Amino acid sequence: MNKNVESNRGHSALSGIKGVSRARIALFFVATPLLLVLSLLLGASGQGFPDLNSPVGKAILNLRINRLVMGMLVGSALSVSGVVFQAILRNPLAEPYVLGVSGGAGLGATLAILFGTVAFIPLSLPIAAFLAAVATLFIVYGIASKGSGGSPSVYSLILSGVIISAICSSLIMFLVSTASVEGLHSVIWWMLGNLQPVPLQQRFISAVLILSGFGVTWLLASRFNALTLGREMAHYQGMNADLIILGGLLAATLMAATAVSIGGMIGFVGLIVPHVTRAMFGPDHRWLIPLSAVSGGTFLVLCDAFARTVLAPVEMPVGVITALAGGPFFLLILKRKMKNAWIA
Amino acid sequence: MTVPALSIESVSAGYGDHIVLDSISMHITKGEFVVLIGPNGCGKSTLLKTVAALIKPHSGEIRLFGRDVQKLKPAERARLLGVVPQKVESPMAFTVGQIVMNGRTGSSLPWISLSEEDYVIMERSMIYTDVLDLRDRYFMELSGGEQQRVILAMVLAQEPQLIMLDESIAHLDINHRYEVLRILRRLNREHGITVVLVSHDLSLSSEVADRLILMNAGKVVVSGTPEKVLQAEILSRVYDCELQVQQDPLTGAVNVTGVLDGFSRSSDRLRVVHVIAGGGTGIELYRRFGLYGYRVTTGVLNRMDSDAEAAKALGIEAALEKPFSAVGEDAYKEASEMVAQAEVLVVSDVPVGSGNLINLRLAQEALDAGKQVWIAGGIAERDYTDGKQAAASIEKLLDNGAHSWTNLHDLMMAVKGD
Repeated sequence: MNKNVESNRGHSALSGIKGVSRARIALFFVATPLLLVLSLLLGASGQGFPDLNSPVGKAILNLRINRLVMGMLVGSALSVSGVVFQAILRNPLAEPYVLGVSGGAGLGATLAILFGTVAFIPLSLPIAAFLAAVATLFIVYGIASKGSGGSPSVYSLILSGVIISAICSSLIMFLVSTASVEGLHSVIWWMLGNLQPVPLQQRFISAVLILSGFGVTWLLASRFNALTLGREMAHYQGMNADLIILGGLLAATLMAATAVSIGGMIGFVGLIVPHVTRAMFGPDHRWLIPLSAVSGGTFLVLCDAFARTVLAPVEMPVGVITALAGGPFFLLILKRKMKNAWIA
Repeated sequence: MTVPALSIESVSAGYGDHIVLDSISMHITKGEFVVLIGPNGCGKSTLLKTVAALIKPHSGEIRLFGRDVQKLKPAERARLLGVVPQKVESPMAFTVGQIVMNGRTGSSLPWISLSEEDYVIMERSMIYTDVLDLRDRYFMELSGGEQQRVILAMVLAQEPQLIMLDESIAHLDINHRYEVLRILRRLNREHGITVVLVSHDLSLSSEVADRLILMNAGKVVVSGTPEKVLQAEILSRVYDCELQVQQDPLTGAVNVTGVLDGFSRSSDRLRVVHVIAGGGTGIELYRRFGLYGYRVTTGVLNRMDSDAEAAKALGIEAALEKPFSAVGEDAYKEASEMVAQAEVLVVSDVPVGSGNLINLRLAQEALDAGKQVWIAGGIAERDYTDGKQAAASIEKLLDNGAHSWTNLHDLMMAVKGD
């Protein structure tokens, strides 16, 4: 074969193979900062940019920026972990909330808060959340794959996820009901899902954990592409499929658990954002993972801005907003999944 | 001597305690086009998975181009061996180009992005398999044949030296099947890629293969040229059914066909076979003889015996005695009349006790009338009569010209042959 002729036109013929529209990406990176700036204009104290000359204005802007950072962290962690779960489980309905991972993380975090370890060791909150989340994931996966002789079906995964999630919430309820008054308030607030800035040290640790999870998943992005064709095919493609699955699940769980430990139980971000991003930019994980991180963060920041203005001066928990948006979306996907067996 | 592309040395493998491959050995030379055939469950797919290191063998050794498969790094293995499974599905809307790209990214380090050369290889693979025009289409929207070609392109992009296909073309239309085969053939001839194809289509296999390997029950039955392997006798035994092999005198193509109705068309008259059975030993005989176009009669059986129930369900004429009773005079007489009508009498591997010992007299009657009598071997273990009367009487029958049978397939062939 004449290699020179090939390579002369090789790349040009396949330039479209990357599959991600440059125009859309450009639009995306123009739109996102605009939306983020917009979120800084919205707040319980009124719309518009705060007056930077007054100390109050400075404080308000500072607070809004902090919430923006929190939202970016939590939102991107939840959506990237959703992307990873969906790829590894080959299931469009997988996400940390549905799989019970968030519930497990919540239980771990509640225990850490109520037993007061958080006050002494800030790192104990994300660690407790992570360990509990990992345990939950394996329990859910184990129950779902019982009797199926391999990878579990879509529906058995969701079923066992929902059940384990319910058990976790009841355990949280039980713990809350026996908690002292001061513990109660912090747990309830945290559980509803909100982006009140956590102490700087904890925020920093969480950012490190989330970024390292993100790094691992982005590194594995091309592997996730192959894994969507099934574990067997991925193995034939020359990758250590089991190692990638385990690493991916742990990284995704780490991100989700950390997000839960600082933002509480914010559901459905990990479901909506990956799907919308995939519909816009295609399923190539090398693009999907970073783009979902940005869009997930932006989405949550906007939801938060909405949550603090819609009933101002009363502030709604942002988890309520995302769940109200996510529930119908979830049903829509389930319906399409049944019809098409595959998803844009 | 050059290193073989694949050498399998007394490999046993399976799932858990269930052994599928039974100390199997085979060698495939570089540049060969081998088709692996054999009945369902004979271990072809397991063999493929074991070669691809997806299943770890219990014992034995597999070498790919001289290297131990178990010790190969996954990426190294992918450069030697490409596997096309039966069907590949993606839950996401990947385009064809993105699917093919997996062939390059899978075995390269995750932090290294694709080079110009990678794209050249991808394009080349897509040209070979004729899917370049489809590159922006969604993979899951393509037809089965197109999908299979895309997967083949993805596997080719690995640049493997050996490609194994696991019944990948079985569910395709004939035109798509030939298309994939032509591609494989070309890769084999022009680029020296060794091909191992698992196939169900015996005729098609004979057209493309340099060598056929026939497997059964986890072992190699016979290996060689299509002419050597595709012989009616061997195939009929392995597939446990009657098969005919015809060779086209002009093209040399071999055609393997089954036989739909077992009886020869020359005689329109139905042949009658009488079966002496009981306790469920007759069901398979009824079914087989029925399939081959015989009229079957049976008896004496006890009512409610599972063979009696089966005879009733299959509409087979049966001489019946009351449940759990010894065979009486009336029923015996009825059966005796049936035997008189039959050309062949077959005794199943029914246990014999004092109650049904008398049935063996029917066999003697048949012999006396000059009919063929076939008696299942191994009576010693099923003889519950006092003083081993059944064994003695069967020995006498065999002396008087009755035949013994052990394998149902051989029995069918022998009875039909006459």
